[in-house]
Amino acid sequence: MQFRLEKRREPSKAMLYATPVVAVLLTMVVGAIIFSLIGFDGIGAVREIFFTPLTNAYKWQDLGVKAAPLIIIGVGLSIAYRANVWNIGAEGQYVMGGLAATWIALLTYGMSGWWILPLMVVAGIAGGALYASIPALLRTRLNVNEILTSLMLTYVSVQLIYYLVRAPWKDPMGMGFPQTRRFSADALLPNIFPGTIVHAGVPIAIVVALVAWFVMSRSVFGYQMKVVGAAPHAARYGGFSENKTIWLALLVSGALAGLAGALEVSGPFQRMVPGFPTNYGFTAIIVAFLGRLNPLGVIFGGIVIAITFVGGEVAQTSIGLSNAATGVFQAMMLFFLLAGDILVRYRIRRVVPQTAEARS
Amino acid sequence: MPNRLELTGITKQFPGVLANDGVSFAVKPGEIHALLGENGAGKSTLVKMIYGIMQPDAGEIRWNGQSVTVPNPKAARRLGIGMVFQHFSLFDALTVLENIALGMDAKIPSRALESRIREVMQTYGLLLDPHRTVATLSVGERQRIEIVRALLLDPQLLIMDEPTSVLTPQEVDQLFTVLRKLAAEGCSILYISHKLHEIKALCDTATILRGGKLVDTCDPKQETSRSMAEKMIGTGLRDIVKAEGRTFGPPKLVVNRLRTQKTGHFDVPVDGASFTVRAGEILGIAGVAGNGQNALLDALSGEILGDDREAITIDGLGIGTMNTTERRKRGLCAVPEERNGHAAVGDFSLSDNSVLTARDRLGMVVMGLINSGAAKTYTGKVIADFAVKALGPASTAGSLSGGNLQKYIMGREILQKPSVLVVSQPTWGVDAGAAAAIHQALVDLASAGSAIVVISQDLDELRALSDTLAVINMGRLSQARPVKDFSVEEIGLLMGGVHGATEAA
Repeated sequence: MQFRLEKRREPSKAMLYATPVVAVLLTMVVGAIIFSLIGFDGIGAVREIFFTPLTNAYKWQDLGVKAAPLIIIGVGLSIAYRANVWNIGAEGQYVMGGLAATWIALLTYGMSGWWILPLMVVAGIAGGALYASIPALLRTRLNVNEILTSLMLTYVSVQLIYYLVRAPWKDPMGMGFPQTRRFSADALLPNIFPGTIVHAGVPIAIVVALVAWFVMSRSVFGYQMKVVGAAPHAARYGGFSENKTIWLALLVSGALAGLAGALEVSGPFQRMVPGFPTNYGFTAIIVAFLGRLNPLGVIFGGIVIAITFVGGEVAQTSIGLSNAATGVFQAMMLFFLLAGDILVRYRIRRVVPQTAEARS
Repeated sequence: MPNRLELTGITKQFPGVLANDGVSFAVKPGEIHALLGENGAGKSTLVKMIYGIMQPDAGEIRWNGQSVTVPNPKAARRLGIGMVFQHFSLFDALTVLENIALGMDAKIPSRALESRIREVMQTYGLLLDPHRTVATLSVGERQRIEIVRALLLDPQLLIMDEPTSVLTPQEVDQLFTVLRKLAAEGCSILYISHKLHEIKALCDTATILRGGKLVDTCDPKQETSRSMAEKMIGTGLRDIVKAEGRTFGPPKLVVNRLRTQKTGHFDVPVDGASFTVRAGEILGIAGVAGNGQNALLDALSGEILGDDREAITIDGLGIGTMNTTERRKRGLCAVPEERNGHAAVGDFSLSDNSVLTARDRLGMVVMGLINSGAAKTYTGKVIADFAVKALGPASTAGSLSGGNLQKYIMGREILQKPSVLVVSQPTWGVDAGAAAAIHQALVDLASAGSAIVVISQDLDELRALSDTLAVINMGRLSQARPVKDFSVEEIGLLMGGVHGATEAA
């Protein structure tokens, strides 16, 4: 018996938007079953991971802080992926953004001025964009696949942190710890609600998503991204250069990852440490897909993934679930999402075995 | 003597379409029977059921008087049914002999097969060297391989699916000779086409389908092309209204020694093409598929950028190094051959597809933002003026049938009132009614003073539409001359080029 995927004439719009929800629900069900089978409290795990962060108001600030970088990076990735430019190295661009911001913070150490933080943010954006321009250059000049180059450059960037915090940027007062100084007051991201950990990056993330949504749905730039991704031939016919689009896609997604890096290092981290790369850049890939590559959807996707992060921590303490469980849940979500997408676009047909000559 | 093939009440339902609705007809031994109808009339579905690729939902197939079911093509070939498809299934890198051997159901030693092939070729005058690589063969020669492949099985019924759409007139004549000889030996032929003069010249009987139903079975020699066409489309046929004795304005599009680089392995570049199109003139470019037409269109539209500014000029202004957007701003619009994914984006709405090519000429962009209202209004106008069957500007291009999408694309370019329009295969796969509308729109655009280049493989279309004609062969363009000065034979020889001439000798 053989099965074949057959393209549906017109994929249902409603199903396209329902798949993320279905994927989350399936993740809960299957996750509960799997963790029960390996001897944990599966239902408890799902409750802790998916519901406690929502029901416990104290956890909401954690959600915002975790979701903000995911949303900012996810928005950039959703733009690049629309153009069929597969930037997998947002983590590296995020790191470079953080390093660029750190560089400014250390240069201005001990100084004060309102301009320091904006300068760090600009440096972060530039750092991320510049780092993403390497895969762009390789792809457009030498036709090297950007998936490989952007991914590999991530590991380079992580090594760069290790070097910088151990030698040139090491905190002289840090008792040998591999980390930089704590930034001066004017190089730190302010909190917007006193007494909480919610920093200015949270509203920035929302603004970034709204602006990106407007640009993608209304502007020629957004049209260019979409048409190059959907039909490169038609894009050329319509007067859009493919190389230019690859550059734009990588620069924009790199810049946003760099922005997230600058906000993270000046916000929650307050200094550069070897633990700065926390896989936000990779997790944002799931966020972008959960959000249907739509910047507004990315807000939703960022919150869902943030829930699993926060909930994963809760479950670690309350039912002794390993930290890796969070990754398992996130991976399952992406799996169900992609599988769901296939089924929205294609139907499964059983084919009767036939001789091979059914031509044309 | 029983009928070779008899269909009774054949019905096939697809989701949303009744492809065949109680079709009944019979083919006698030795008869050349035409199956006639527009695109989507159900011809292909019907022959796929005869050849066992699909199964009918209802109805009976009788073969030499016996009721049969044909579960698959292998069974069809065992019964003695052969089929030559419109699209060949040949491996370019293999030889003729290897290709035929691969397609055989039974394993025959290659030497025995070769002598059988030579025998069949000799008998029917299908001359080919079995050891030549397919990549070096012309389309007509490739078709001969498919015919030989079918004839090796001594078929009693040969199905030919639009066999002449890619042939030069000379090759068509050679094919007809072979088919008549086969019929004289008792082999029945089911000949699918929409070219009426061919059917009149070749066929004994014609069965006409429309919308899945049988309209008429008639003797084509008793009918006129026009009466059959009207049965095919169901209404009266419109002629192209072309004002007699039109005069042309000054040269508008001047192309001077245009060349392109060879890109792919089997790609044919343009090799020094020169021509002039005046205001109000329609220049037709004839040629067999794959002779550089795509490169010519891309070079004119700006998808392939040239390095010689003066190789293409509009009203004296050199545009040879400009990209598509700049060329459009200067009045040059183009329609490539491939509709889906090239001229239009299937996943996008029609409105968004209008933005693709009309955004600059019609002011759909203000400060980097798309004025979607303007795009929608324009798309609505295209839909209305060109009678595009679509739910509205928000329908996706992919949801339209091929003919309707083509009407939309042609309308989108024509309503931009370009001063130069270059189109490739403007009515390919479009039904006769829609084709007439597109032809008329092109003529009207020319009458309004635009210069038009029509690249097509359909000689009838070019002869009806063009004022002047040139022929492209292996990337070289012949001298353009008034279309009245050409005989069909001459066009055919030019289409075959030197390549065809040596072969005919």
